Order: sequence, then structure tokens, then C-alpha cells
Amino acid sequence: MSGISEHPWMTVVALLIGAVAFGFAPLAMAWLWARFFSPKKPGAIKNATYECGLESKGDAWIQFGASYYLYAIVFLVFDVEAVFLLPFAVAFTGLSAGASIAMLVFLLLLVEGLVWACQKGVLTWA
Amino acid sequence: MSDLLNAEEVKAQIEAGVPGSHVTVIPNGSPSGQHSLLLDNEHAFAVASFLRDHPALRLDYCSLVTGVDWLDTETTEKIRVKKVVDGVETEAEETRKTKVPGYLEAVYHLFSIEKKHGPVILRMRTANRTGQTQLPSLTPVWRSCEFQEREAFDLYGIVFVGHPDLRRILMWDGFADFPMRKDYHPPADGVPVAEVHA
Amino acid sequence: MADDLKELKIELSKNGIFTTTLEELYNWGRKNSVWPLTFGLACCAIEMIATTMARYDLARFGAEVFRPSPRQADLIIVSGTVTKKMAPQVVRLYNQMPEPKYVIAMGACAISGGPFRDGYNVLKGIDRYIPVDVHIPGCPPRPEALIHAFMTLQKKIEEQALAGENRPRHLRADLPSEFEVPEFGEHGLEPPANPELFPALPGNPLKVLQ
Repeated sequence: MSGISEHPWMTVVALLIGAVAFGFAPLAMAWLWARFFSPKKPGAIKNATYECGLESKGDAWIQFGASYYLYAIVFLVFDVEAVFLLPFAVAFTGLSAGASIAMLVFLLLLVEGLVWACQKGVLTWA
Repeated sequence: MSDLLNAEEVKAQIEAGVPGSHVTVIPNGSPSGQHSLLLDNEHAFAVASFLRDHPALRLDYCSLVTGVDWLDTETTEKIRVKKVVDGVETEAEETRKTKVPGYLEAVYHLFSIEKKHGPVILRMRTANRTGQTQLPSLTPVWRSCEFQEREAFDLYGIVFVGHPDLRRILMWDGFADFPMRKDYHPPADGVPVAEVHA
Repeated sequence: MADDLKELKIELSKNGIFTTTLEELYNWGRKNSVWPLTFGLACCAIEMIATTMARYDLARFGAEVFRPSPRQADLIIVSGTVTKKMAPQVVRLYNQMPEPKYVIAMGACAISGGPFRDGYNVLKGIDRYIPVDVHIPGCPPRPEALIHAFMTLQKKIEEQALAGENRPRHLRADLPSEFEVPEFGEHGLEPPANPELFPALPGNPLKVLQ
């Protein structure tokens, strides 16, 4: 007998369906219970924005200061650079000249950001 | 005297340094002997600046501001009065009652971190407990007074004139009473006991 | 459950047959997954924290997950002095919890104001504004006392009926889920107590557990 049930992946599919059902069944039961048995009691305070018990003021959707881009740039310079520098240093001896130049261009761009940030006085404490 | 400055000496220095100021030494009979200096409200600010900036005193740190509530008191004293009764001079005893109006008091404890001495204790008194409860704020002289003066304002009702941000600090803004005054009674908030056990 | 049914159940269990009712199963699940709110007010909170740690291990009772949001919590342990300035926040947090919700008033301050009862800024017991299920005396109560209160609460949850007149508040649409938040007045909180709740006379339907 040859058919779809003979397929070697069939057990995996069956287990997957079982696993998903195992996860969803309690959620579905809870949902059904809530849907049919528990009375709903929404209210102004219950549905209000949660603010540690205080009354929330204003909207959750607010504008952030554009000056936060400074943090993004300094983060890129110091953090992302390190992520790329480590594999670069490990594979340094086996790299071609083109790869090294590409990496140096990348470094140059980041150093440019650092110099710019330094000139702006971002790195000076207080 | 490294840790306790002599109150009389400080008083002499203040009165020499701030012309017109009037300082009274209030003795403290306890073993600590921390006598305090009562300032006149008019010159208190100048005296405070003088104490902070004087090269020998350099009281650069105010560690503590406290309020004290002194209720209205009545003193009775017996006085011998000479009376002329029927042409004959007789001596009679009379009790005379005098009402001393109460006042609110602010107490400041000063130390010098630079000279490692202190405390010098300052007091200021309001005119009475109800209407005129203003005192000059010493926050412009010692920054550390800011919250403590606010606390004294909140709990005793001393109004510090010249304070940069005089709001209630412990109680909410709409609160009307001054809870640390001696004649304050908290609201009963009560439910009759009989009702609970009914 | 009728007595003869109970006897039948015991008889069956002696013969190796386990029977249950939907009510028992439902309450068994609920009582073993009571999630408290991460919420401490004063020194009692330290004892509450100790109760959750390894030595006393509240996790044995299914309550190890302290939820940082009232939306996910079933139980608020009022652990410590409730100042008048804090009381509206406590009531609002309770209101934001979904039903069914329970309250343990932990320590002398939470149940009556304790040593600060005559102070100008201390609430004389949180049961003036929210319905308390279990009161624990003590200053502060030891972790064993909190565990005892927790087991008392579990026992009460176990006995709740799913249907009928005595069913708990969360299954009755006519009873409120939110309680009035007190406001700051000139001399104290307004009102000084919620008249629907306080004093908690026997038979008040707003008491979750009779």
C-alpha cells in the first residue's frame, strides 16, 4: 500500500498537529468558558490605560525628540562596529585585498560618525 | 570646643557682623547643652548668609529644619498690691492672668563640613499661630532646606517667604489642615461601633 | 452536593474509581493557579517576598507567578500600611483586575490602620474601599501566616458554587466589579468609607466569600 500515509514525514506532521492542538485546546476551552459562562463586567476604570494605579494622562502615542538620533549613531559606532570587527579580525589573514578595502571603507564611515559626534560635543560628560 | 560652638561667641560675631541684628541665646539645660540662637525675622536672611560665608564659621551645611508648635499659654502670677481701703493702706494679694500668644517656630541645625564643627542651632518665631505665620526662607542660603521647609509648611503651616517652590510635600494639594499642630484632630472617619457589631 | 451522592463518591473511590463534578474540577483548577499582583506597600511586603522565596516557597500552592500587571492577576495582597495618599491607587489597581479577584489584607495596618490608626494620613483598614476575603493579623505576619491565609483563600475558592443563589460575585452580572475610588478631600478621603462595603455586615452580597 502506497499513499500519503506512507510518506516518511507523516509522523512528524501528525505530531505537529498534536502539539499545536495541545497548546490551543486549553486556550480554546478558556475562551469558550468566558464566552458562554462568565458575565462581562467592563467599566471605565477597568478599561483605562494601566499606569500603576494612577490616572493616566494624555495619550500613549507621543512624539519622541528627534535628538535621539544621536544615541542611534553613537550606538552604531560603538556596538555594531564591534560585531563586525570581531569576525573581520578572526578572518583577517585569509582575506583578499578587496574584502579588506571594503571593511576599511565601512570603518571609515563609522569613524566619520564618531568624529562628527565628537565635534558636536556628545562625548563630553556634562 | 571643636564640636560645639559657643553660642555666646557666635552671637557676638553675628551682632558685630550684621549691624542691626538682634540675637537671643536660648539656653538648653540638658547635658548636651546645645544652646540655640533666636534670630529676629527681619535680619534672619542676612545672618544666615553671614554664618555661611564667615571665614571662621563657614556653616555650609544645614542638616535639619524642624517646625515646633507652641500653643497659646496663660501665666498666673501673684502680685502684692497696695490698696487704700477706708483711708488705711493695706496690702492685698491679687492673681493676675496674662495670655501669652502662641507661635510657630522653625529650628535649623547648621554644620560646617569644611571646618568640621557644629551644630549651630537657629530659631525663628512667627508672630502668632493663625494669621501671621510668615518666616523668611533660608533655602536661597542652604539648598538643603528646600524640602524640609516645604515639610514644615505642609505639616505646621509656616509660610516661608522667598521659598522657590512652596507647595505641600506629604499631603495632597487640596488638603486644608496642618496635621502636626498640637490642636489638630484627625477626622474621625468613623462608623459607630454599635453598627459594626449589630 | 447531596449526602448520598457524596457517600457514593467515597464508596467508588474505595474501589479505585475516581469521580468528580464540573464544579469541583473548575474550582480545583482555579484554587491552584491564583496569581498575585506584584504589589507591596510597607514592611509586610518584605515578609510577602520572603514567602515567595525558596525557604517558604509559595510556588507549592500555585502562586509563584507574581504578575506585574493587574490585568493578569487574581489576587491582591495588600501588604502594609495604606496611606490616604495611596488608597485611591490601591482601589484603582483592584478595579483594573479581571474577575474573579480576591484580596488578602496582610498585617495590622492593612486590616485596621494598626499602630498608625490615629495618624493623620493612614487609612483605617483597606476593607473600607474594597471587599477583603482574608484578614491576617500581625505586625508583620510571619510567612507561615501568609501561607495560612493563602490556604484559607484556597479553601474558600474550593467551596464556591458554580450555580444557584450563593454563586460568587464574578458569576453574577448584577454585582459590580469596580468600586468607587475615593478622592482627596479637604480633611481626608471622600468618602471616608464605601457605604456599600463598610461595615461588612453578614449577608452583604458584595463580600466575595460568605
